[in-house]
Amino acid sequence: MAIDLLRRKFLFESAWGFGSLALMDLLNLESRASEPEGNRPGATSGILHHPPRAKRVVQLFMAGAASHIDLFDHKPALEKHHGEPSDFGEKVEAFQNGLGPWMKSPFQFRPYGASGKMLSDAVADLGCCVDEMAFIHNMTGKTGVHSQATYLQATGFQRPGFPGVGSWVSYALGSENENLPAFVVLPDHRGFASNGPKNWGSAFLPTSSQGTTIFPQRERPIRDLFPKSELVTPASHAQGLKLLDKLNRDFATTREGDERLESRLRTYELAAKMQLSAPEALDLSSEPAHIMKMYGLDRAGAEYPETINVPEEIEYFGRKCLIARRLLERGVRYVQIWSGNDNSFPRRNWDSHEDLKREHGPLARGMARGASALIQDLKQRGLLDDTIVLWTTEFGRMPSTQGSTGRDHNPHVFTNWLCGGGIRGGMSHGESDQWGFKPLDRENPTQVYDIHATLLHLLGLNHLKLTVRHNGIDRRLTDVHGHVIREII
Amino acid sequence: MMTKFRLQILIAVLFLCSCGITRSYGLDDDIFLDRVAPILQTRCLECHRTDLAKGDFSLQDATGFFEEGYVERGDSANSHLIELISSQGNHRAEMPKNGAPLAADQIETIQLWIDMGAPWPEGYKFTYDAKAARTLDYNWWSFQEIVKPPAPNLVGSPDRQWVRTPVDAFVLEKLEANGLSPSQEADRRTLIRRLTYDLTGLPPTVAEIEAFERDKSEDAYEQLVDRLLDSPRYGERWARHWLDVVKYADTCGYDKDKLRPNAWPYRDYVIRAFNDDKPYRQFVQEQIAGDVLFPGTEDGVLGLGFIAAGPWDFIGHVEVSESKLDGRIARNLDRDDMVSNTFNSFCSLTVQCARCHDHKFDPITQDHYYGLQAIFAAVDRADRVYAVDPKIELQRDALKHEIANAQKSLAQLNEQINRSGGQALVKLRARIAAVKVDSKKPEFGYHSKVEARQDSQKWVEIELAQATVVKQIVLHGAHDEFNNIGAGFGFPVRFRVEVNGSTIFDQEEVDFPNPQQAPIAIPVSQPLKSVRLVATKLAKRSQDYHLAMAEIELLNARGENIAGTGKVTALDSIEAPIRWRKSNLVDGIWYEPNGATLKELQADVESLVLNLLGKSGVEQKSSLENRISKSRKSLAQLPDGKKVYAAATEFKSQGNFKATQGQPRPVYFLPRGEVAYPGPILKPGIVPLAAGEASVMKIKPGENESVARAKLALWLTDESNPLLWRSVVNRIWHYHFGRGIVDTPNDFGRMGGERSHPELLDWLAATFRDGGESVSAGSFKNLHRLIVTSSVYRQSSSYSGLGMTVDSGNRFLWRMNRRRLSAEEIRDSILQASGLLNLEMGGAGYFLFQLEKTEHSPHYEYHKFDHTDSDSYRRSIYRFIVRSQPDPFMTTLDCADSSQSTPARNETQTPLQSLTMLNSDFSLVMAEKFANRIESETADRSVKIQKVVRRSLGRYPTELELTMMDDFVQQHGLVNLIRIVFNLSEFVFID
Repeated sequence: MAIDLLRRKFLFESAWGFGSLALMDLLNLESRASEPEGNRPGATSGILHHPPRAKRVVQLFMAGAASHIDLFDHKPALEKHHGEPSDFGEKVEAFQNGLGPWMKSPFQFRPYGASGKMLSDAVADLGCCVDEMAFIHNMTGKTGVHSQATYLQATGFQRPGFPGVGSWVSYALGSENENLPAFVVLPDHRGFASNGPKNWGSAFLPTSSQGTTIFPQRERPIRDLFPKSELVTPASHAQGLKLLDKLNRDFATTREGDERLESRLRTYELAAKMQLSAPEALDLSSEPAHIMKMYGLDRAGAEYPETINVPEEIEYFGRKCLIARRLLERGVRYVQIWSGNDNSFPRRNWDSHEDLKREHGPLARGMARGASALIQDLKQRGLLDDTIVLWTTEFGRMPSTQGSTGRDHNPHVFTNWLCGGGIRGGMSHGESDQWGFKPLDRENPTQVYDIHATLLHLLGLNHLKLTVRHNGIDRRLTDVHGHVIREII
Repeated sequence: MMTKFRLQILIAVLFLCSCGITRSYGLDDDIFLDRVAPILQTRCLECHRTDLAKGDFSLQDATGFFEEGYVERGDSANSHLIELISSQGNHRAEMPKNGAPLAADQIETIQLWIDMGAPWPEGYKFTYDAKAARTLDYNWWSFQEIVKPPAPNLVGSPDRQWVRTPVDAFVLEKLEANGLSPSQEADRRTLIRRLTYDLTGLPPTVAEIEAFERDKSEDAYEQLVDRLLDSPRYGERWARHWLDVVKYADTCGYDKDKLRPNAWPYRDYVIRAFNDDKPYRQFVQEQIAGDVLFPGTEDGVLGLGFIAAGPWDFIGHVEVSESKLDGRIARNLDRDDMVSNTFNSFCSLTVQCARCHDHKFDPITQDHYYGLQAIFAAVDRADRVYAVDPKIELQRDALKHEIANAQKSLAQLNEQINRSGGQALVKLRARIAAVKVDSKKPEFGYHSKVEARQDSQKWVEIELAQATVVKQIVLHGAHDEFNNIGAGFGFPVRFRVEVNGSTIFDQEEVDFPNPQQAPIAIPVSQPLKSVRLVATKLAKRSQDYHLAMAEIELLNARGENIAGTGKVTALDSIEAPIRWRKSNLVDGIWYEPNGATLKELQADVESLVLNLLGKSGVEQKSSLENRISKSRKSLAQLPDGKKVYAAATEFKSQGNFKATQGQPRPVYFLPRGEVAYPGPILKPGIVPLAAGEASVMKIKPGENESVARAKLALWLTDESNPLLWRSVVNRIWHYHFGRGIVDTPNDFGRMGGERSHPELLDWLAATFRDGGESVSAGSFKNLHRLIVTSSVYRQSSSYSGLGMTVDSGNRFLWRMNRRRLSAEEIRDSILQASGLLNLEMGGAGYFLFQLEKTEHSPHYEYHKFDHTDSDSYRRSIYRFIVRSQPDPFMTTLDCADSSQSTPARNETQTPLQSLTMLNSDFSLVMAEKFANRIESETADRSVKIQKVVRRSLGRYPTELELTMMDDFVQQHGLVNLIRIVFNLSEFVFID
């Protein structure tokens, strides 16, 4: 990974690194400034609605719709009736034409843990964590269209214009570490999922609450953290900031009473601190070999074939998970990791219309390895107690066949799981029917609002009270819905 | 609790004793029935009724009303109810929770009633009818008629001299009422900077500042205002405000986020409307129903870009049919966007709340809401022709006719030649064919796989490394003797050409005459990243069909072919080198017949033909051939109609996305907004703004859909619509002062903000609507002039002790508001200071990203953009706005999010902003270019520094600053100084 080495060189061996005396000097500038909005304490700071169980969240989002019945929701009926014409007992509108015969999962299921939870071989790596995890198998959506469904899961509304769940959380709780953004997003390196950055935009909340994207594989993982110019040196940067501070202070002094001018001074100090903290958080060189191995990152310099494959998926997802852990332990409030990009060709997301095994296999193995390592790693550091891990996707897939090896969209039922941060482990809540077509109890499914309400609840927030008035409407993450799922906490 | 409860029983007992019995509907009941009940009915019952009982309190009958102990009969002073409905100092009344507090006389009525013993007619029970309750309650300021109040008379005021305009009189009256006085006037440098940014979005130049400071004429300020309003820069600045509100962008948003290559004519229309000072009434009407109310005008169609400006779900419309639930959901949400865009933008009314339930606070029912959806039931968002030159259309028809006739005559002649030419002719032709093949270079071109069906689709694409300005695409047909076809071998019968995923040349409706070896030139008007030729009806080969093409040239402005730098991909290709392979499409080789032998043989044929036809026959033949080729050439050169992305009822189908042809879709009443459970079909209607106003429109069966839109446009702009006029003047006020008289510009309902200057708002609305006070009716420029020439606007922005104590938020405008520049202003100012700003107006948006993978979901790669590309040095309003992936530089600086209506920009200060301003490629490239320019002008270091400061801040550096900067430049060079100057608070704030 030549790029990785280069970047490390740039960040840690050059004078830009955190040993830079000039920068350290700058940070010692006496600060008289008030807090800028970027890292101000959250809107509910100090007045949480109730005592929290969790402090931070990492969300794993499978873009393209990951199949519940091939990963976490075992359906013996499909094994028994594999190949028989499907019969749903009602008229079904498929998104495309995926109403072929019943199709069993191409992956074997086996029991794990004390709870005996059945997992498919594609996610076998999560077997060691099932007793920490709470599965929700009766999730239901509102639409089988990717963009709307992704918006719904990511923002609570099925159309653009609403803040991401991480924005709400960082808006409410602010940052635990003013030197890092409160909400960080690690997109799939191959491209954005449906709706792109609008899934983590701040919409009507302050810009400071939007997700900051980090692309670990890029030359500059965080946009604009450092200048790309030969003419700007660490010394000119540090001296320049001093000059700037002096001139801006003079300007503020002649305009007494304007807090914005004061807080602007502080934003430059925080920016300088972020220049030190962020690269350190992204630098994996200090991680011991056994940790690297746990995340599947023990193959430095590996080359991968062009076709989708397991080792490559492990490497990319694992890297994001490890970075997530480093960010979380440094006080980032909400980390969102994406697996799967847009619907381009060849397919690199979970939207397996044509060949479920082809994409779900490598994507799931990569995800399971990273997620499992993350859970274990958080646990051994004592962080799992107050960190919620949430696994989600925009909808599920049909138990019938599309073509001969694919599955069509199923917005009627799918799976989420949570763990850590006050979640009861080793349990499943809600069931899907024998096929995994709809919730078993159709009157009482679980919706994204319930997941969000529960998430906020664990963070010490009442989803009914966290409101912001926008264009005449008191907006909530949960719109006019949502119940805390008491059974899983 | 216990004590209170006991007391209540005691009082109730006493009450019963004193009255004997509760009489039924007697005289004392009148106060309840006439005066109290209506208040409870309209203001309380919605929440406090038996089946809802918010706060466990229902006042639907006497039992519920009295049992909770909120009322001490006979003693209003001890009745908790009165506390709940009264304001306490600055704290608004707790009840009604939603909506305005009760009026003072209403509270007095209730007090009186309680003091009278709170008589409740026996058995009286409220009936609750949600709709009736809602539609009745127009008792809210924004629904009231606009009556122009007289400007306050300030005869006794010490600050009377301060009043320049009626605006000042209204503001001063409020100031004095609150014990405040206005600030002194700002200095000239501050004024010109404030005014120039406010009206044009750009800083004044040093020369302009100095000229204004020197100008001693009495009306120097007014002249400056006029000059700025006359500048084309004015429209560019104010159009941006409007585009924020209406959610304009150059892509669709949602999944795939496809490009909208024809959105920009609407953006240019808005700029032009402001620059031409189009009367507001017309501006509104054109945007809702310009095609009906201003038929035959370009602006009548361009304005309809408003309806299409918001996001659009490609998958939900194209891949899912309307017969499926998901398809209907997508279309319901699409109508909803049109309805909310209309009512939020023009009326500041949040009608969209009534999609799932009656509006909780304002008199808008679900019936009203779906009546509004029905108005837009027939329109979709699509490209629409806004300008066809009738002369050109006549020419097009004539040319087609001409070609057809000539071809017919030529076919007859050829038939005659073939018949009489015999073996001699056949032999000669065979020899010519052989020679032609020999003289041809062997790299024929691209050849698809063959298909059994002619309607199979094929495509071949060239993708460039980066988007590049291309003026022309030129297609060259292939040449192959296979099956005696020769010229134009494999040229598609029907096809389209797409640039960046959008069709720019459409030949899918009718067969395209085979051009043989004649090149087909297609003009391009946007930076080109990819070009794709899609054949929808293939050429016949022998028993099968295929697509072949010798060459596609991409000519830049200098006429050079840059296609060779691109990569060719195709759905399929026979890849049979050396003749046929994808790369042959851009190898610069195509067949143009020539060669001496060929000429001789052709001469032989010609003489043979001469013998057969005679001299006049030959002349006739060649004249026919000439006519055909000339006409074809002219036809190809005729410009297509110009298109705008707008509301449309006729357009080419794309998958399941089909035009309605003006036939409205049924719009159902949807309980809880659920598409799956449709109620009755609703007719087009408006939202009544007063009790008794009819909602449903009178439309005759069979009338065109546009009738409803036209009715809506006329209703919106009627002078009796109080919302429209208040809404727009409040927006203008908001942009001048940073805060509206109502600080929720998109919501004038009960959840909206309070008015700081109610009389001023109505005075402005009436003046703008009707004209007067040097304002022509509906003239934005006149309104700006009125506002910015006021003393209020000219105040200093300094904070004073008294003002800070009494009104720290400056609600009463005792000073001007200092503000940070918007994202666009910052970017444009950096360009201007660096001497690079290109003021070219209009046209397709420039990219600030690398465009990749347009064939599926376009990738907008901002981090790969090269900021030395001078195409991007135009004003920010002309950039190509990507909805789902907005520009990170601009977004960090609080730019509007085009996924939602943005009536007011946020103004935040964040560390990420600092990093962006310091380290973005744009800032750094600008700093370097700025420095190079200065270096080339002078060698003197302190002069250089002076120039930097003057061009950035419009002033000379102080001596102290000069010393510090000189030190810094000596060590780190000019680039580093400029990088810091861009970050100065003085650079990004205006006083």
